[in-house]
Amino acid sequence: MIKATDLTKFYHVSEVKQGRFATLRSFVSGKGRKVPAVSDMSFEIPRGGFVGYIGPNGAGKSTTIKMLTGILHPDGGTVEVAGLSPQKQRKEVARKIGVVFGQRTQLWWDLPTRDSFELLAAMYKVGQQEYDKAMEVYGELLGLHEFLDTPVRKLSLGQRMRADLCAALLHDPDVVFLDEPTIGLDVTAKNRIRSFLKDLNEREQKTILLTTHDMDDIEQLCKQIIIINHGQKVYDGTLESLREMYPLPSVLEVEYHGAVEELLLPNGAQFDPSRGVARISFDKRKTKPLELMERMGQCGEVRDIRVQTPKIEDVISEMYERPQVQLV
Amino acid sequence: MNLYWKLFKASIKSQMEYKAAFLMELLVFMILQALDFLLVAAILLKFDTVGGWNLYEVGCLFAVASMVRSLYRVFANDIHNFEKYTANGEFDQLLTRPVSPLTLLIARGVYWNQIGGFLQGALMLGLCLWGLHGQGVAIGPALLYLPVSLFSGTIIVFSLGLATATIGFWTVRINEFLAFTHYGPLNAASYPLHIYPGWLRGILFTLIPVAFITYVPALYLFDKGGAFWYLIVSPLVALLAMGVTWKFWGFGIKHYHSTGS
Repeated sequence: MIKATDLTKFYHVSEVKQGRFATLRSFVSGKGRKVPAVSDMSFEIPRGGFVGYIGPNGAGKSTTIKMLTGILHPDGGTVEVAGLSPQKQRKEVARKIGVVFGQRTQLWWDLPTRDSFELLAAMYKVGQQEYDKAMEVYGELLGLHEFLDTPVRKLSLGQRMRADLCAALLHDPDVVFLDEPTIGLDVTAKNRIRSFLKDLNEREQKTILLTTHDMDDIEQLCKQIIIINHGQKVYDGTLESLREMYPLPSVLEVEYHGAVEELLLPNGAQFDPSRGVARISFDKRKTKPLELMERMGQCGEVRDIRVQTPKIEDVISEMYERPQVQLV
Repeated sequence: MNLYWKLFKASIKSQMEYKAAFLMELLVFMILQALDFLLVAAILLKFDTVGGWNLYEVGCLFAVASMVRSLYRVFANDIHNFEKYTANGEFDQLLTRPVSPLTLLIARGVYWNQIGGFLQGALMLGLCLWGLHGQGVAIGPALLYLPVSLFSGTIIVFSLGLATATIGFWTVRINEFLAFTHYGPLNAASYPLHIYPGWLRGILFTLIPVAFITYVPALYLFDKGGAFWYLIVSPLVALLAMGVTWKFWGFGIKHYHSTGS
């Protein structure tokens, strides 16, 4: 559904002048340098895919999305969305995609929310029947009815995001691009958006690409993740295999009741007598958690057992810190 | 067209959300324009003529320039203020629509608060033509030609604005350029152009063709040595300018570099 091949984009950073007619002078001088924002990015997303596109700030996430949506023209490589080029067939592609920029609304700020939907429907030539149906389905799922007549500027961030999502879906696009759709939202609002997106992907088979800094978005939603750093792809695959490639230790914590035979604890275990808790880090692939638990169970009377698997945040920050490990 | 109409209504509705501000802006704008006019009138009354053109003749140039400027701002204010699109990356959104960004920009709003210049210009033009009539000049042709002049003038000013906006795809900031491509030239076009040095006239006839807004047709209409075909040249130049700028705009969009998010 989406195919990027050797996608490259440079930024021209011009020397900034000071004083009178600064813009004119720095434009005329033409001095500056080219900085790669995205280099040789290739990936493929199948129909019905749900991809998390992640990376630190300034890694090139937005630049990639902008090339996929036809906003930016790549300096090298090609893009295909639904079989079309977003650069050469921008308008046709625009009909097939829905775009939400979390930081910026596409709704008419001063008008009632409903008016924005009607304007967009006219813009995308959505028929009355399709429009009514979309409003019924998405209006219900996103709970829009309570604020359809409120001007957009008076909506809460969560409401605005729900309205923006609906606005991006009115013309029934095959592909949906979401740039940080959960940014700044509280937990309830995030959950609402997430369950909506999951449903959209599973029920309607819409191909979704989202960027986010919220790892819960990734863990709960994405079938595939692509990680970008310094403009280059560093990982493309499932979350599970990423976890396997970066085996951060899991942690087992056993809380004892009463006396503990410290000498019987496995190597590497740390015992905190004041809390009666023994803690050990282990590699899931080498050591079976159950065996470890049994061994630790022999050391005293167990009150509670906790296993902590590494969080995706930790896996990814591990990855950023050790960029020399080439995964792709 | 249906879409344009809907967007047009939406923009009116949006502006009406701030009625007080709207009326205030309209009022302030008209006062500023009137002050401009008084200044020129004072100068002209003192010197009688500018480059051989009397008060009423110069007044006509001045009035049409003012009307044209106002029409441009009413219908294409977002082209004039294009910097906000390039500087804040707002242009992104327009490019994700199945409609040309230029259509969307123009449909963004009809800025009635900018109509003051047109009204004031129309009033001034009326007074000047009346004055000319009093001096025994036939004003019929000038009146008949007025719609053409407004059309070609607005197109020329629009083309200059669009070209400046296009430069913004590279420079991001454009407001500094407007002094050279909008404010300066339009002020220049408010007077008979032969009062300027040759190099400046050269620019105003070619690169920044504001000469064709009123000066060239007026040479014929006010019998200043112009030929009849001058009347046809102006709209042709306007269309040519539009065509060239259109191409330039299409080329520039490819170089739009958005902003970080």
